[in-house]
Amino acid sequence: MSTPILEIRDLHVQVEDKEILKGVDLVVPAGEVHAIMGRNGSGKSTLSNAITGRDGYEVTEGDILLEGKSILELEADERAAAGLFMAFQYPIEIPGVATMTFLKSAMNAQRKARGEDELTTPEFMKAVQGAAKDLSIDKDMLKRALNVGFSGGEKKRAEVLQMALLEPRMCILDETDSGLDIDALQVVSEGVNRLRAPNRSMLVITHYQRLLNHIVPDRVHVFSDGRIVESGDKELALELEAKGYAAYDPVAA
Amino acid sequence: MTDQKPILTGAEKALLAQLEQAGQSAGAHEFAIAGLPTRRVESYHYSDLRSLLTQVPLLAVAADVAPGTESPAPYLSDAVCLDMVNGRVSIPGNMPAGLVVKEISGSVLSERDDALVRLNRGLAGQAVHIQFEGDVGWTVLVSRHLSGDACHVVDGVDVIVAPGASGTLVEMFDSSDAAHLGNHATRVRLGEGARFTHVIIDLCARAVRHFHSLEYDLGTNASMRNLIVNSGASLSRVQMFGRFSGSRAHGDFTGLNLVDEGQHCDITFDLGHAVPDTTSRELFKSVARNRARAVFQGKIVVDPVAQKTDAKMMAQGLMLSEGAQILTKPELEIFADDVQCGHGCTCGELDSDTLFYLMSRGIPRAEAESMLIRAFLQELFDPLENDELVGRLEAIVANWLENGSASAGAGKAD
Ligand SMILES: Nc1ncnc2c1ncn2[C@@H]1O[C@H](COP(=O)(O)OP(=O)(O)OP(=O)(O)O)[C@@H](O)[C@H]1O
Ligand SMILES: [Mg+2]
Repeated sequence: MSTPILEIRDLHVQVEDKEILKGVDLVVPAGEVHAIMGRNGSGKSTLSNAITGRDGYEVTEGDILLEGKSILELEADERAAAGLFMAFQYPIEIPGVATMTFLKSAMNAQRKARGEDELTTPEFMKAVQGAAKDLSIDKDMLKRALNVGFSGGEKKRAEVLQMALLEPRMCILDETDSGLDIDALQVVSEGVNRLRAPNRSMLVITHYQRLLNHIVPDRVHVFSDGRIVESGDKELALELEAKGYAAYDPVAA
Repeated sequence: MTDQKPILTGAEKALLAQLEQAGQSAGAHEFAIAGLPTRRVESYHYSDLRSLLTQVPLLAVAADVAPGTESPAPYLSDAVCLDMVNGRVSIPGNMPAGLVVKEISGSVLSERDDALVRLNRGLAGQAVHIQFEGDVGWTVLVSRHLSGDACHVVDGVDVIVAPGASGTLVEMFDSSDAAHLGNHATRVRLGEGARFTHVIIDLCARAVRHFHSLEYDLGTNASMRNLIVNSGASLSRVQMFGRFSGSRAHGDFTGLNLVDEGQHCDITFDLGHAVPDTTSRELFKSVARNRARAVFQGKIVVDPVAQKTDAKMMAQGLMLSEGAQILTKPELEIFADDVQCGHGCTCGELDSDTLFYLMSRGIPRAEAESMLIRAFLQELFDPLENDELVGRLEAIVANWLENGSASAGAGKAD
């Protein structure tokens, strides 16, 4: 059996001295798409922040392996260069940083970290224009400062654009569907599906089964109170849609 | 109450002797009583010159200067360049039409209750007078070089922008690596409808102490923008005294303290809206790294007659190290009732969410920090219309960023 792209072992994470993740076990084999669903506040974003290495998310127990190697000691930028990408639930607006400058810096920084040559300007332009076209992203949007003044849906599209350009091994999409209209959902899902590949895996966090009609998952996991409490195939998402999360809530002591 | 004379410091004694030697007996008498300003003088609250200015070199004399020294590649290719070496002006022969440049003597500053202004008025040697006429919009670059052994240079630039005329003045300061003391002055008078851009860049060696007093007078319908960049010198104070004397005039006053270990840079601003219907915007930024101190004091006074004044002052600070200090004091004194005035002030570290966003895309921490610092400063540079000048300013910032990572002491949380 080949090494899974992402493996999480008994992960415990504290935020500001409060334990949020209480023993997460998850294996995402190469080429698979896994979905995570769960109540607000159950710890889904905490999981994606801990995987991507945000300061303040303290791993107290367990391990996170990317292609078989622990990434706990790596800084966020090193994890990205190792092939990790998270599409943010709430992308950050950065006034004064031009979108194109940012994209080029990110692509070249990763290439440099991997010992690859930097992109020439024509190569870079071509890549951006192609990816932007695929995602119906307006050229004018790319001329603005990063995410500044983008609508909610535009920000999510821009996240997927970054994902397409950075070609990660492991993609985490944290509620990329929220804030998208029906057409945008279609465009973004197609964008994500285009990136599905035998050596690339995805973790899709969502509240809506609807997204999973477009991006069909191999596995669905139910998250509750900082743990995965149930896993199944795509039918599980339909079941959740019908019955809600009540059955998975922790039993009151 | 005691009326005993204060004990003068060594620096004060040297300045007193220079005033006496210059025949400024009244000024010397006054200085002997007041000395250099301490923190008890309101406008020097954060810059106690008596303790900060520890030593005063000999006054530069014209004979010290080797004339016609090497002239490096022009800093700005389309500018008319004037050099002042240790206070001595050299003016190229053929000035283009619309530009009058001549040598004058004495101080260019008006009398006012300020120690640095008094010293400039008492000790000034030469100054250069520049008059912009017509709307060609010449750019003049005045480069002040403090050269050779440490010396005390007292000089000035006097600018008139004729009614309806426009122009840009860039003032650059650089130096040899010696403990020079500069007491520079610039006076700008804008005629009716005149337009003016003024950029002042201090790139002196760290050994230098740099003082610069600026005076602005804006006539009816005049408009101007300035930008002060303090990045050289161990001790610097750039003080601006602005006055609106004609209605419907507008001023954008901006500045930057870009400071590192051991530097104390002060921008002090004093603006009087003295007539009705004038507008001003002030934007002052400080970036401080290691044990550096950046000071901004801003005061806007709106006279009783100055109805419809619209003035907004903003001070923003970015602290990159724990030992860095940014001290800010904004003041509004409003004596008219129909005005729109406000001030704001923010000071903090780089935003950690923003930093994480950039790093999560693979951009290393130091590079991400540099991107955010450049972004923080962009709104100071963007409004300047001269791309070459903006490029120069960006290069100053890039150079500053490269001389050590901005992340000193800000490693990973654990
Ligand atoms: N910085 C923080 N400080 C304190 N508590 C936090 C912090 N970040 C997250 N939490 C808490 O951790 C819990 C999990 O939050 P998280 O954002 O991971 O939930 P989520 O499952 O992504 O929810 P949603 O579906 O609403 O996005 C919540 O109770 C939240 O309040
Ligand atoms: Mg969330």
